[in-house]
Amino acid sequence: MSKPKLAIFDFASCEGCQLQIINMEEEILDLMSIVNPVEWREAMSEQSEDFDIAVIEGSITRSGDEERLRRIRERAKVVVALGACATCGGVNKIMNNFNIEEAKKAVYQEASLMPHLNTSLTKAVDEVIDVDYKIHGCPIDRKEFAYIIRCLALGKNPEIPAYAVCVECKLKENICRYEQGEICLGPLTRAGCGARCPSVETWCFGCRGFIDDPNIYAAKEVMNKYGKTSEDLKDRMMLFGSKQRYIYE
Amino acid sequence: MKIIKLDQTSFNFWVDRLIKKQCVFGVQSKGDRFVFDTLTRAEDLRLDYDVTILPPKKYFLPQREDLLDFSIKGEYKSITEREPFILLGVHPYDVVAISQMDRVFSADNYDVHYMSRRYNATIISCDVQRASNQVFAGSMNTATVQAGFDILLTKIGDSYLIDARTAKGEALLEGLTVRTEPTDKDLQERKQVWKENARLLQKNKLKGKPEELPELLEKSYYDPIWEEKSKLCFSCGSCNLVCPTCYCFDVQDDLNWDMQTGKRTRAWDGCLLRDFAAVAGGHNFRRQRADRYRHRFYRKGKYMAEKIGQVACVGCGRCIDACIPNIANPVEVYNQLFMSQKNIYIPEQVTLLKTEKMTERETFYELKMDSGLDLGHEPGQFVEISLPGIGEAPISVSSSPTQTGTFQIVVRAVGNVTTAMSRLKPGDHVGVRGPFGSQFPVHDVMKGKDILIICGGIGLVPIRSAINFILDNRDDYGAMTILYGMKKPKDQLFATELEEWSKLPGVQVLQTVDCYDESWKGNVGVITTLLSLIKLNSESTVAVVCGPPVMYPFVLKDLETMGMTAESIYVSLERRMKCGVGKCGHCQMNEIYVCQEGPVFKYSDIKEVMEAI
Repeated sequence: MSKPKLAIFDFASCEGCQLQIINMEEEILDLMSIVNPVEWREAMSEQSEDFDIAVIEGSITRSGDEERLRRIRERAKVVVALGACATCGGVNKIMNNFNIEEAKKAVYQEASLMPHLNTSLTKAVDEVIDVDYKIHGCPIDRKEFAYIIRCLALGKNPEIPAYAVCVECKLKENICRYEQGEICLGPLTRAGCGARCPSVETWCFGCRGFIDDPNIYAAKEVMNKYGKTSEDLKDRMMLFGSKQRYIYE
Repeated sequence: MKIIKLDQTSFNFWVDRLIKKQCVFGVQSKGDRFVFDTLTRAEDLRLDYDVTILPPKKYFLPQREDLLDFSIKGEYKSITEREPFILLGVHPYDVVAISQMDRVFSADNYDVHYMSRRYNATIISCDVQRASNQVFAGSMNTATVQAGFDILLTKIGDSYLIDARTAKGEALLEGLTVRTEPTDKDLQERKQVWKENARLLQKNKLKGKPEELPELLEKSYYDPIWEEKSKLCFSCGSCNLVCPTCYCFDVQDDLNWDMQTGKRTRAWDGCLLRDFAAVAGGHNFRRQRADRYRHRFYRKGKYMAEKIGQVACVGCGRCIDACIPNIANPVEVYNQLFMSQKNIYIPEQVTLLKTEKMTERETFYELKMDSGLDLGHEPGQFVEISLPGIGEAPISVSSSPTQTGTFQIVVRAVGNVTTAMSRLKPGDHVGVRGPFGSQFPVHDVMKGKDILIICGGIGLVPIRSAINFILDNRDDYGAMTILYGMKKPKDQLFATELEEWSKLPGVQVLQTVDCYDESWKGNVGVITTLLSLIKLNSESTVAVVCGPPVMYPFVLKDLETMGMTAESIYVSLERRMKCGVGKCGHCQMNEIYVCQEGPVFKYSDIKEVMEAI
């Protein structure tokens, strides 16, 4: 079995998800034993036009990015979106709630007109090209990344949870955040993180994006039961759920 | 069988000794909840717990476990090395659940992973000391157990009775130097605990017997309840995961980095999860939320009953707590199905156990449902009493739901039904429909508050239900003041009970009559005159008012003058009622059906309603 060639590309992001891969430490050698890295800006100087698996980090915010992304898609056998920015637009998508010129001005002040700061609305990777697999989270989970790469190297579809964070939260025997009077996005958010946030006694921020069939009606109805409003819920969704289909329901 | 008695100190010593011998998983606190976890010292053990977040099934069927080591060449190796361990503090309902799981994993295809853990376990059960908010083990016959464990602990006063029922259990008592034999009185008290627990562990009450559930569900597949309730379902599977009898799992492979060897693991799964019944081709055999929601109730109430001969719900109430939208309550669902299966106008037969003339016009009756079930009422609710050929009449229930087995009513002979009733003798049968209507808020609003009760005439009858409920749960409430007014001294109801109540600490009883005679030594005057005799902390008090219609405007006005807000006053209203089920229209005031939304109302809810007061 020849090792698949792996390339990692970054777009608009903090590059923290790539850093998570580097942070695999001793396991990074194991990773290299099953894939052959040919381009990975954060870890190596080489570049390559020839690869099998393209891992895309970051969201797409400029028209030039879209062209670059399409070129990657054409050359890759498998495209994997890495981290919340790539899978759902992530924190970058908060910008889409505002008028873009005003947003730029608020962030860059007088420099906002400089050409290199030019930007358009944020898109997730799958809003521009077809994506084969998504590695969710902000940041990604290293173990899940390793598992997915092993599956791809074996030629198997990785089993990425389709169920909500509540499942993993219950398995950890956590006290439900709703019992603590908090709005938690766990019931709407895709699992896979091991209910990381509720396990350290804070609500789920929804960084892994919505499950495929979230019950938004129920989410709004339970707000009444817990003395909150649908506006409170919307606020909580803004960080990772901005301008996604379900937020309008 | 060996029973010994240990005081708390010796008990802790014994537990610490167990910890030295074996791995002990015991109940400990986690925030304001409880969990089973590795016990390192006896003082962390919390046998006074109400319910644990996850059931102890996690020690037999862990959340995630490795089943097999494999190589891609096709070699498989079973992973089953196990150490003996002790599970300490398992409540009876969880013992029943474990026994059910044992049957599932041992019968037909023997599951070596579950069973090897099971054989290595010693189960120390403990009778429940504190009922959880949602428990209904009493309804499922799982409040106490006599089998399925190695040792049973029961707290009697400051000591524990330790009852070893198996050789494994007896082995844990060996070498104890301090050991007292229990007295007959101790054993008697233990029986009392069992009896009490069957009654107390019924925060939700099933309106039928567990063994009736398979047949009920047989007829309910197309009931609208599945669609209706599941609209709020997140499909999060929480109800499955916390359930002591849910055991479905998913199996997955993961390779090691060598890409040659790996592990096949299983992890808890849940039938409420969207893809639980989806196949690789894309078809989902339970695609709709309602399909999956219904499946859980069928699995517990019918399929498992047919498989193992016992309904697979033990009444722990965990699913109710775990469900964020609050749709998982099995009792609510089964009761609604019981109701929709029957004709609401057909009464159930009850037998008169006792009748007693209380005054010239009022008679006291104690009744028992022929079905053997409890009436299942709450303080303040009423029933329709039916006498065939004569008719029906709405009658308040006077006994507290804490008194089980029977219920009590008081009837004033004024109409056809009530007059005919006064001719009945013990052993006679009548029909009963209900309980109907709203209740005094003893479970929420009144908790922790001082209680002011104001009743006139037969208004004492429904309120007595709340008074006795409060007295049976005395620690949950503050001081109680009971003001009772009647026309004449000989109208007095429950004279002995009033006398007994007045002697209780934290209870004040004041009575008054409108017209007195020589027999009366107490206050004279209308009920409002008693209000001037009491000290009222309007901030911390909830008032409950029930009496003849003429009483309300005066009492309510005075209460508001004394600083009470309309939000903290509850009134029980009388109306003409024929059906009791919100249909016939007689009791209607504006848009409100008193038989459904009342008879107990928060005063602020009806203050502005014309015709109400």
